Formats: sequence, structure tokens, C-alpha cells
Amino acid sequence: MTRTFRNRRTALLYILPALFLILSLVFLPIVLNLYNSLFRWNSFDAGRTFVGLEYYIRLFKDPVFYTALKNNSLYAIISLVFQVGGGLIIAAILEDKLIRRFQPFFRTVFFIPSVISIAVVGLLWQLLYNPEVGLVNGALKAIGQAEWARSWLGDSEVAIYAVVAVSQWQYTGYMAMLFLIAMQKIPFEYYEAAMIDGASRIKTFFNITVPQIKEMLLVGSVITVIGAFKVFDEVYIMTSGGPGRSTEVLGTMLYRSAFRNDEMGYASTIGTVVFVITLTLSLVQLKLGKSGQEV
Amino acid sequence: MTAKSNPIVKTDNVTEFRPGSPKLSMTIKNRIFQSAVLVWFSIFALVIIYPIIWLGLSGLKSNSDFFLNTWSLPEEWFWRNYKAAWDAGIGQFFLNSVYVTVVSVITVLLLGSMAAYGLSRFQFKGQNLVLILILSGLMLAPQVSLIPLYKLLQGFGLYNTYWALVLPYVAFQLPFSIFLMRSYFLSIPRELEESAIIDGCNTWKVYRHIIIPMGKPIIASCALLTGMNVWNEFMFALVFVEDSSLRTIPVGLMNLRSQLNTNFGIQLAGLAISALPMIIAYIIFQKQFVRGLTAGSVKG
Amino acid sequence: MKLKAKLLLVAMWVLTLLVAGCSSSSSTNEEESGKVVLKFLHKWPQPEFAPYFEEVVKEFEKQNPDIKIKMEAIADEPIKDKLRVILGGNEVPDIMFSWSGEFSRKFVRADAALELTPYLNEDAAWKDSFIPASLQPFSSDGKNYGIPLRFNGKFFIYNKEIFEKYNLEAPKTWDEFLDVLETLKKGGETPIILGNQSPWAAIHYLTGLNQKMVSQDVRMKDYNPGSGEFTDPGYVKAMEMFADLIKKGYFMKDANSSSHDMAKQLFFAGKGAIFYVELEEFADADKNMKGNWGFFPMPSIEDGNGSQNYITGAPDGFIVSSKTKYPEEAIKFLKFLTSKESALKLVEQIGWPSPIDGATNPDTALKEVAEGVDFMKQAEGMAEWLDTDVHAKVADVYLTNIQLLLDGSKSPDAIIKEVQDVAKQVQSELE
Repeated sequence: MTRTFRNRRTALLYILPALFLILSLVFLPIVLNLYNSLFRWNSFDAGRTFVGLEYYIRLFKDPVFYTALKNNSLYAIISLVFQVGGGLIIAAILEDKLIRRFQPFFRTVFFIPSVISIAVVGLLWQLLYNPEVGLVNGALKAIGQAEWARSWLGDSEVAIYAVVAVSQWQYTGYMAMLFLIAMQKIPFEYYEAAMIDGASRIKTFFNITVPQIKEMLLVGSVITVIGAFKVFDEVYIMTSGGPGRSTEVLGTMLYRSAFRNDEMGYASTIGTVVFVITLTLSLVQLKLGKSGQEV
Repeated sequence: MTAKSNPIVKTDNVTEFRPGSPKLSMTIKNRIFQSAVLVWFSIFALVIIYPIIWLGLSGLKSNSDFFLNTWSLPEEWFWRNYKAAWDAGIGQFFLNSVYVTVVSVITVLLLGSMAAYGLSRFQFKGQNLVLILILSGLMLAPQVSLIPLYKLLQGFGLYNTYWALVLPYVAFQLPFSIFLMRSYFLSIPRELEESAIIDGCNTWKVYRHIIIPMGKPIIASCALLTGMNVWNEFMFALVFVEDSSLRTIPVGLMNLRSQLNTNFGIQLAGLAISALPMIIAYIIFQKQFVRGLTAGSVKG
Repeated sequence: MKLKAKLLLVAMWVLTLLVAGCSSSSSTNEEESGKVVLKFLHKWPQPEFAPYFEEVVKEFEKQNPDIKIKMEAIADEPIKDKLRVILGGNEVPDIMFSWSGEFSRKFVRADAALELTPYLNEDAAWKDSFIPASLQPFSSDGKNYGIPLRFNGKFFIYNKEIFEKYNLEAPKTWDEFLDVLETLKKGGETPIILGNQSPWAAIHYLTGLNQKMVSQDVRMKDYNPGSGEFTDPGYVKAMEMFADLIKKGYFMKDANSSSHDMAKQLFFAGKGAIFYVELEEFADADKNMKGNWGFFPMPSIEDGNGSQNYITGAPDGFIVSSKTKYPEEAIKFLKFLTSKESALKLVEQIGWPSPIDGATNPDTALKEVAEGVDFMKQAEGMAEWLDTDVHAKVADVYLTNIQLLLDGSKSPDAIIKEVQDVAKQVQSELE
């Protein structure tokens, strides 16, 4: 290595602009957030009162917080099953030699929802779920399952599943595409060898496909789980956390506290807790994936 | 990681070398498998495509037609719904979205590639710390920053300007782009630049004339991913700008809903206008898009 | 070729930066030209209402060439969040929309709203032109902070055809109301249409029920964030009466997943007999029902502790920012907005009831709107919207839980218990 590339000052010149932006707009807010969470204040009043850890105590006693945690976890688990699990199976089948000539068509179609903005998807599904004009109940009636029809977003028992289902609709194809790309890098000889051995599809899937795309699986899982705890848009658009608080997630809870209930301090507290949760999850997953991943 | 060949070439080769097996060898079991999968996938495809087509068609209906004949084709084709939606603000939102996305993507690519270059080519003390710092930015949920950023932007007088969107977007998109670009740059052989340095080139010239041209595939996919994320971003856009003349499409649509609360035809036309360009662009550039993702997925 | 592409990119970037630079500096240019620029924020971007404001502003600018009005509109739901954010910023609009009651009072407490009493006292003719009941909800401790633009009341409208089919008349008492609903239900009709996706729709029922069940003094004490307790049994009873309507199946199915506007379409299509709407919606009703409708106020409740001669409703209008540099000009514009001419235009053009005495009369307005305003003028007082008349956090408890009451997953007792807890919390925070 030449000396030119050991000059620290030159190196920093390249890095600093990006680093400065990240530090000031991503990291500084975390610190400010922690500070803000110690005060009672709102957006339109100049005064603020120091309350210490009061909001943290209140948060851990707040039943809505646990509803939100439960909903975020549901989001994560269901998305892991459908997007990662389902996406994996879909990708494997698309790579199957019997299906491969249909692959371009299905691949294209399945991916379409993920290029549409969440705002459009949310507003569209709100109408599709509508019991009066929506297609969902209409389709259920058409296939003779009228008793399954319900007021999807208006029933506090099922609303959260209805909202989560939209994410599956939107992103399963995206995940399948990621896995497909990873699978196409698996050398064909592996499959040939398995074929000569007479291995079944399922065996080949578990013995060759899955181990070979292990790292992409890990990346997909990390994106999915962290995404589940960042979720805000689709819930805000479709239900704003309702009916009642039944579909509240941490993101909407934060928004509601800040901009509806005038409790910026409480909102900052929620923000800090979201930070701790996502950080912990990332570290755990990094640790789990350390074996294969070198950053 | 270093042994991987260019993924783009590979994708094509693979497809060529894997033709479907001869029909003769198709056993009954295979046939059942194939039909079952085709049925399943066709239903899934229908579930995806039908709502989108319904969206486009319902945008052409009058209000009562929409309510009474949910499933059928429009009685009368209300093309003026699309025009009305465009005039009601979608047009302006569209331009805002394009502007914010273009500026953000270009800034991310420029600053990101420079930082990735600095982190992949130079060796200096504290390098790892900087790297970890940048990469941990990947994991932070933007909600955490919502309120402090809102206060900061107000403090600097940037609230309710384009910058209130562009700057946070750039900051939040940079980590992932740096992550991808750095991995890719690391795999570019060093011999070229070493001889360039010996020929008297400075580091900037190496960056401009070697790294950037060689890193094109990854830069393209970063542009793509950043562009998609920025185009669809909703939460910051909801809080950081105020004037309807600055709103981007996602938030604009939300407002349009409460604004045109009694005209579903126009609302749906607005949704269709916002969705169709992306779908059409995707279908046209499908191949390049898949290639871009392939390049982007090169593991670090 | 490559170079060209790069140059193009760079050029695009520079261009976009320039556009941004220009657009952000454009507002200052006008100030330099010697004009006073007033920022005016209202909540009616709908294509049926916006033109009215555009015309009024244009007329005002013509009469006052030295003042420029920069108008911005945010729709009903989003403005509830946005107003708070805007008031915390540096570029606060000089004149902005606000609901009356606690919604505006919290801005008063934060010193964000300008006191308007001196301006009103200075111009007695202006002050006297308002129906007194419309100014009062905008006051706090005897001082005025807001100027009403509309005078809105809530009434039940009914489908005449359906009522005639069952020989029904508009009910006067709650018992009669229940009888009517029962008859309709037995006949296989949907008695009441309700779209409660945004839960203010059901909260408007409770606004009236609370007022009729709880005595005025107690209710005012409870609605004041500093002394709210909500321990009066009337609150639970009011909610039980609403729950009763749900239990007996008088509301349409799936009310939580329909928006008010969607529900309105159903009513217009004759799919239900009764619908609870605001006076401002009367014009729309008449357009769609062509005379096939009538209206009545919320029926009186015999054993209620509150006055039975109140009407649910409130004025809404504008407050002036305490940070405004041009209070005189802002008042001038407000006077123009509430002048007799503008008020008449408001009533005629968009059918809204005006708080200006005499502006809403059978000549200018729909017969029913004029009658509705008469109801309000004769009423002892107004029950202001529950969701804007109590502290935001108390309102939030009411709003979110009413949806759960509708889908049957929470009881009135449990909800009021939660209201009491939050009221206590709010009280302790204000001390």
C-alpha cells in the first residue's frame, strides 16, 4: 500500500461530509431525545418543566405501551413467517426446473406491490377492507364464505391482523426477489449432484438451497424484524391506531403523544425506548449471524 | 466474498445453462406439483393484480357508480376524474416528490461514494470506530429522531422548506449506501490505482477516474434503493413541511383524502396517478432493476 | 457522451438547488416591496368551499392594496395535529383557524393567542353584530381570544319517506326517540346511520348526552382541565344511554369502518332513516334528498340533571397569533371576513350558518338552516364539541374508547374510570 493512502487527513476529507450529516441528524437527535424525555413540554409553549424519570415510570405502567409492543411483535413474527418463510419457499419454487419458464412473469408480478408507495397501498386497502364497497368481503361472499366477512379495520379483535396482512401483500414478493437473486448464485453442480443422488425437492431445498443462501436469509430477517419495530406509515394511514388503541404500534403511539396529546416529553420517552429496543435486536441478530457475516 | 464473480454475468449464464427438462421425463408426480404450484401462484398473482386494476378502473367512475357497482366496469368513463385529481394537487405533489428525490439521491451518491472510498482505500487510526459509527446508523428507527429533528429544523429555520426533507433523508440513507458501496469498492483490485499513484495521480483523481467508473453497478443500485425509499417516505414528510406547495406525494394523498372526502372517484384517480408511474417504470426497466438488485446484494 | 451525461447531472443538481433557493426567498421579496403580508390559515381546502375564501381574499386585497394575504388551507383531521406544530414554529400564521372552547384556550394558556377584547370594545358595532352566544365560547376568563366565522349546531336529520311509511314524527323526548328507533328496527330499516372511523362522529352524541345528563356547573368544572374529576354519575349514565342504542342494534352495522362521509352517502341513498349531522351539512342534504328530509334537535331527557334547552354545537373561527407583527391589519381582515356582506355571501354561496345577527335568514339561506339557527338563538346555551372542549388527553380517552364501546369490547364504567384517571393526571400536571 502506498503512503498516499495512509494520510489520515486526506481520508477524513472524504469521510467527513457524510459523517457530519450522520452524526448531526441521526446521532445527535438520540442524545437530545434522551434529554427531552426528562421534561414536560409541548410544541407551542415555550416553558418546560423538569420531571425526571416520571415519564419512564408512566410508560412502563401504561397498558397502551404493552399493546403497542405486542402489536410490533406480532408484526415481526407474522412478517418472518410470510415474508421470509413464504418468500423463501416462493423463490425456491420459482427456481425449480419445472416452474422456471414461468419465473419472469411471476417474479415481476409478485414484486409490483413493493414499488408502490405505502401511502397508496394503505389508502387502497382501507377501501378494499370497507364492508360496504370493499373487495375483500365481496370476494369472500363470491367464494361462498360470507360468514368470514367482517368489518376488518373497525373490529378491535381483527384490525391488527388486517393491517399486518397488507404488509405481507406488499413485501412478500420483495423478499422472494432477494432470495431468488441469492439462489441464482448457487453453482448448478450442487443441484446436479443432488439429482444424481436422487434427492427429493424438499431434501434439496434443506440441504443445498437454504445453507447456500444463509447470509441473505439473515439479512432478510434483520430487515424484516427491525422494519417491524419501525412501522408507522401503514398503521397511521389505515387506522391511526384504532379502533380504540387496538392497532397502536410504538410509532403511532409516539406520534399521538407528540401531536395530539401535547406531550412531547412522553413522546421522547417512547422514542428513547424504541431506540433501545431496535439497538438490542440489531446486536442480537448481528451476534447470531457473526459466523457468516464479516462487516 | 472476494471470490465472487460479477453477479450480472452470472445471472444471465445461469438462466442459459438451466433449460427446462425435457417433457418426456415429466412424471405424474411432477405434473401434479407443477399444476398445484401454477394454480397457487396464479391465485396469488390475481390477488396482487386485481386490486391494482380495480384502483385504476374505479378512478374512472362517478361517485354513485362507485358505490353501487363496485365490481363492474365504469358505466361512463370519467376521464375527467384523473384531470381533477391532477389539478387538485397531485401535479404539484408529484413535482415536489421528483425534486426532493433527485436532490437527495444525488447528494447521497456523492457523499456516500466519497465516504465509502475513504473507508475502503485509506488506512488510518480510528478507522474502525468511524465505520462502526456509520454502520450503526443503519439500525436506528427514524421515529427516534422525529421530535428532536423537528426542533432542530425549527431552530435552524429550515422547517417547512425542501431542506427539512432533503437533509434528514440524506442522513438516514447514507449509512446503507456507504455499507453497500464500501463492500463493493473493497472488491475492486488495487493494482490499477497503485500504478496511477506512481504516475502522479492524486487521490481525487483515483476516486474520479478509477473508483467511480469501476463502481458503477453498485452506485446504480444505491441510486435505486435510495430513490425508492425517499420517494415513499411518509413520516418526516408529514411532520417537517407545512405548506401544500411543498408536500410530497404520500402526504399529499393523505390530505387529498380529507379534502375530497365525498368524491371517491377522484380520490382513487389520485391514488392511481401516484402508483402507475412507478409500476410502469418498474415493468419497463425490470431487467435493469433486477440486475441492480443483484449487484446490490453482493455481500460485504 | 459520458461526459455529457455527467454534465447533465451536475446541471440538474445546480438547477434544483437554485429552484430551492428561489422558492424559499420569494416570500421576503414581497415584504420588501412595501406590502404587509398576512399569513392566513383556514381548514377548508375542499373544492366546494375554497373558492369562497379565494374570492373574499381577492376582494379584501382589492380594497386594501397595501396588504397581501398569503392563504393556506389544511383539512379538518390533519389540522388538529398541524396547528400545534405550526404554533411552535418561527413562521406562525398571523390569523389561523381554531375551534372554540378548550382547543383555543390551550393556546391562550401558552400565550400563543392574542387577546382581542380591546379591538372588540373599540368597535362596538362590530362586537354587537355577532350573536352573543357565538362570541362567548371563544373567551377565557372574560377575555375574548377568537372571532367566530360559523355558528355550527348538531341536529338529527331524517328521511321523510321512511318516517311516513311508519307514521312517525320527529321525537321530542328521549323515550319517544327510542320508540321511533324501535319501530324502524322492527320494520326492517336501519334506524341510524353512523360513520365512526374518525370517532368524533360518535363523540358528538356524547357531547349532547353529557350536557343533558350532568348539571351545568359540574360539567363546566369537569371540562376545565384544572379542576376536572368526572365523578358525577351522569357521565356513566350518558355513556350507558349511548351504549344502549348500540346494544339494541339501532346503529348501522360496521360503523367503525365507515367514514362519516361514506355514511352520508348511505343516508342520501335511503339506506337508513336517521343521521346526526352539523348544520353546515344541511345544504348538502337538501341537494341530495330534494326536500325528502326533516330535522330535529337531540330530544330532551326527563331525568337529566342538565338543562334540556341546550343545543349541541359551537362556533368555530379564527384566532390571531400573539407573535404577529401586524395586529391592526389582522383585525382589519377579520372584520372584513365577518362583515355583513361577507357573511351574506357565506350563507348564500356555501350554505353555512353565520354568527352575524340576521345574516342567516330564510331569504339568504335554506329554510332549514335558518330554522336551525333560530333553534340555536332560542337555546339557553350551547354544548360545545366534547372532543374540543376538554383537555386533549381527556378527549383522546373519550375518542379512542368510543370505538371500543361500539364494537362491544369495553363497558361505560371502564371508560369513565379511565377518563377520571386521565383527568386527575391532567390536573396534577397543570399545578
